[in-house]
Amino acid sequence: MTGQINFTFDGRALTAKPGQTLAAALLDNGIKLVGRSFKYHRPRGILSAGIEEPNALVTVGSGGRTEPNTRATDLFVYEGLVATSQNRWPSLSSDLGSALQLVSRALPAGFYYKTFFGPPKLWLFYEKFIRRAAGLGPAPAEIDPDRYAQRAAFCDVLVVGSGPAGLIAARDAVRAGKKVFLVEQDAELAPSLLRDPQEIDGKQGRAWAGEIATEVRTSGGRVLTRTSASGLWDDQFVCLSEKLVEPGQVPVNGFTQRYWHVRAGEVVLATGAIERPLTFANNDRPGVMLSQSVRTYVNRFGVVPGKRVVVATTNDDGYLTAKALRQAGAEVIAVLDSRPAPVGGDSEFAVFNAAAPVTAKGGKNGVTGLVADVDGTTQTFACDLIAMSGGFTPVVHLHMQAGGKLDWDEAAQAFVPGASRWNVRTVGLAAQPAPAETVGATGAAKQAFVDFQNDVTVADLDLAWREGYRSVEHLKRYTTLGMATDQGKTGNMAALDRIARREGMTVPEAGLTTFRPPYTPVSMGALAGMGTGEHAQPTRRPALYDLHAAKDPIWLNAGYWKRPRAYPIGAETLAQAGLREARAVRSSVGMCDVSTLAKFEVQGPDAVQFLERVCQTTVGKLAVGRGRYTFMAREDGLVFDDGTVWRLEENRYLLTSSTGGASRMATWLSYVRNHLCADLKVSVVCVQEHYAAMAVAGPQSSAVMAALTGEEAPRHMSVVEAKIAGAPVLVMAASFSGERAFEVHFDASHAEAVWRAIEAEGCCPYGLEAMELLRIEKGHMVVGTDIDGRLTAGELGLGKMVSKAGTWIGAATLQRPDFADPLRKQFVGLVALDGGSIPEGSMLVRFIGGEAEGHVTGSGLRVLEGGSIAIGHLKGGQARHGEDLYAWSPTRKQKAKVRVTSPHFYDPAGERYRD
Amino acid sequence: MTDVTIEQLGRAPLHMLELWGDPKAAAKRIAKALGHDLPKVGKAQGNVLRLSPTTWLVEGEAAAIEAALGDGGALTPTGGGYERVRLSGPAWRSLLMEGSLFDAESAQFAIDCVATTPIDHVAVTLRVESENACLAYVPASHAADLQHFWRLSAGGLPQS
Repeated sequence: MTGQINFTFDGRALTAKPGQTLAAALLDNGIKLVGRSFKYHRPRGILSAGIEEPNALVTVGSGGRTEPNTRATDLFVYEGLVATSQNRWPSLSSDLGSALQLVSRALPAGFYYKTFFGPPKLWLFYEKFIRRAAGLGPAPAEIDPDRYAQRAAFCDVLVVGSGPAGLIAARDAVRAGKKVFLVEQDAELAPSLLRDPQEIDGKQGRAWAGEIATEVRTSGGRVLTRTSASGLWDDQFVCLSEKLVEPGQVPVNGFTQRYWHVRAGEVVLATGAIERPLTFANNDRPGVMLSQSVRTYVNRFGVVPGKRVVVATTNDDGYLTAKALRQAGAEVIAVLDSRPAPVGGDSEFAVFNAAAPVTAKGGKNGVTGLVADVDGTTQTFACDLIAMSGGFTPVVHLHMQAGGKLDWDEAAQAFVPGASRWNVRTVGLAAQPAPAETVGATGAAKQAFVDFQNDVTVADLDLAWREGYRSVEHLKRYTTLGMATDQGKTGNMAALDRIARREGMTVPEAGLTTFRPPYTPVSMGALAGMGTGEHAQPTRRPALYDLHAAKDPIWLNAGYWKRPRAYPIGAETLAQAGLREARAVRSSVGMCDVSTLAKFEVQGPDAVQFLERVCQTTVGKLAVGRGRYTFMAREDGLVFDDGTVWRLEENRYLLTSSTGGASRMATWLSYVRNHLCADLKVSVVCVQEHYAAMAVAGPQSSAVMAALTGEEAPRHMSVVEAKIAGAPVLVMAASFSGERAFEVHFDASHAEAVWRAIEAEGCCPYGLEAMELLRIEKGHMVVGTDIDGRLTAGELGLGKMVSKAGTWIGAATLQRPDFADPLRKQFVGLVALDGGSIPEGSMLVRFIGGEAEGHVTGSGLRVLEGGSIAIGHLKGGQARHGEDLYAWSPTRKQKAKVRVTSPHFYDPAGERYRD
Repeated sequence: MTDVTIEQLGRAPLHMLELWGDPKAAAKRIAKALGHDLPKVGKAQGNVLRLSPTTWLVEGEAAAIEAALGDGGALTPTGGGYERVRLSGPAWRSLLMEGSLFDAESAQFAIDCVATTPIDHVAVTLRVESENACLAYVPASHAADLQHFWRLSAGGLPQS
């Protein structure tokens, strides 16, 4: 590797070698102090060389690309990288927060629970401090400018991890004719072979790995580096988080990450094992590192983190690190081996058996020595690096996420994968970790850390145990053990060991907490994918969208639909525009886009039978060319939608229902058609988008329709075929406004021509605001508020329309005695008595502070005369007309005195429907 | 570089054909009128796409089917509700994996195969026209949004 890369850390200009992580580059530049701990602001350095790093967390990038809490060990340096340390003020070296170490006795386990209690008002006071203390790096304040792709993928075998075991599994699968995905979280394949170079099949490890990767690719598979398998679910469904560029880096094509949804026939977990720290006083000091990680820095990154080293180990692996350090020119002062007798007779180092570290000496800029217990005696070693190995914890997270069981490996003192619920198998060190001893904590418990990221010490565990916490799940939450972003990857086993020792039981008897996705932190952007900004939700544009847009309306997001709420003229407000448009309908004629209504064509000799299962009204009595209002109930007898049904031909009907309930109605009709009425000769097709539709409403609407079609307008609740602007249309005389009105339905391809023709007749466009005023005054209900799926037809005032034949779904359930309760809620009207408006959504009470007896579902005013009116649900409401109540909204501090009335405020006899 | 072209073809006459009861007799009559059998589930033939066990989408002229249908089923016009969008070029399969959960890269999704699947939350019906192109029937209200999604996504497809 040649050349150098420029970057900054806390504003200091530095250089890195190509391929180095930020951690490697900092060590190469002689920087050991990288961050401050969460709780006590203790100086922290670099513990590991991988994703398990709990200490070396930095903020990288700027503006919307700022990414806090990035592990310096999982960030490859790029030109121009800007990295900043966290959780310190005014500087990393001189952090005032470090004074908290002096009062650490006052911040024990459970401090939060013991301190922040009392009356709710106090929480408003506490909250400010808790929020300020929470987290490490600050979240970015600007919008992320980059894109995150989400993608599906399918393969026969997904191999997670590209160590030798993973590569062999991938190679074998390819040669068995399988389509293989090989996933590696590092930037390079087989990182363990970079740490411990070796020949395999007569080739250098890196070349061997490269050949297998080529084999995977050429066979149609994929090899993904910088990709973490973050979650494994049922049926081998795996989520992969792929970094297309490094955190904070400007992407070439706008995409910074890709989130894969992979469905695999088999998942092979070659996830390896994570080295455990030893637990001794000041084991969190800069200069105390994991043994294998030290080897990684030496052999892969060409960095020697110390000149005088003590290796403390419970297993053979520590000796490999000692050798690597010596070969790199460092002096290995001692190897402290916890095992009582020499293993393997390796005598090239000063080996001390039955030895364990007790206290690390030194400060924020690194260790200066180590006090150790050597077979019962205390010895001190001067050193600037302590490489420790407490054994290995297999990465069983994904296995367990998918419901896999764990077994206990006594020799390795570790949990290993047991039976899997799905087609998932684990290979390599994750299944067979190297043997290791477990040694207990040594040194002062208050300074001996088990969870570095959340500052949980042995003393914290002991305190929780003394306070009665026995379950590991409870103890975890009380002490916050394993609840930081590293999820306790390095610390959990040490903690379990401590708990087991206090309980006098084995680690498997003490139990284990549950592993949940994600395995490593996943950017929120990756989870959102493209669903941000204008794609935050699907946008549905009606066929007339462009025509509306040309009028610059006030839009309303009605579900996913973009619908005009009002068409203001000049400086009109929404309320002013809505009222003007509503008055135009009451006094002359208006036009409104109602294309979003749900519409279904129902055809066939059994169409009536089908419709009379779905609709609570009769349908069969309709003559051809006639229609009626109808409503639909679920199996529980409660009304969930309403609309109209029109007989277009002998065996052909058009059923309309609400916009908001369209998808639900389509699903419901499909269910009824295919499951409840599978034998009927009927076709049910959703034509919601095929037909655009316009309402033409007002006393002059008949004249407008006659002028447009050249024929007399159909009478109320009749339908005729006609042509407007040359386009075939259905003219259905129906009203939602209370005026004589028509719905004109036509192939959406003709939307513009028909709209322009109607508008040319002088119709005033009106939006949903005017529609709301008109329908509330008339007492027409809408689905979602007035029809909310909790009332029967009778309670909605529709009882007289219900078909007595009882063929409709829900008829049997409606016989339940509970439905006869006179205090069930019923649909009512409300008139304001004190001149003010009636707050929508407010409670209906007898007196302010009284029990809610109902609520206001829609609030409006009399369109021509003025005066506030509303509609709502009220217990026993149909028998309470004339009663005075309050509409009260304590959260908005609004109230209005109201009188209960019929909900039909305008033309209750329906005389205005007729010419 | 983008290896896929997204082209809105506009609307076309479409009908939903649904057969009820015992569909064999009607299917036989329709097959005679069309000159070929109605396609099987997941397949298309001529201008007919099978959408479900009892439903087909007919693009273009449907008079022959209507004449042969008798009382065995119904034809319902639906063309006003769909935009047709052609995805073509070597990366069309890759593009269809974005925001999706369907395996458009499978060799089994071959010419004249049909699938209806959500893409970026929108139910889209796909017909493989050739190795180089796929026709998507997109609900008209979602067409602008989905094509924008496809155009953005096309700029960031992974290398195969």
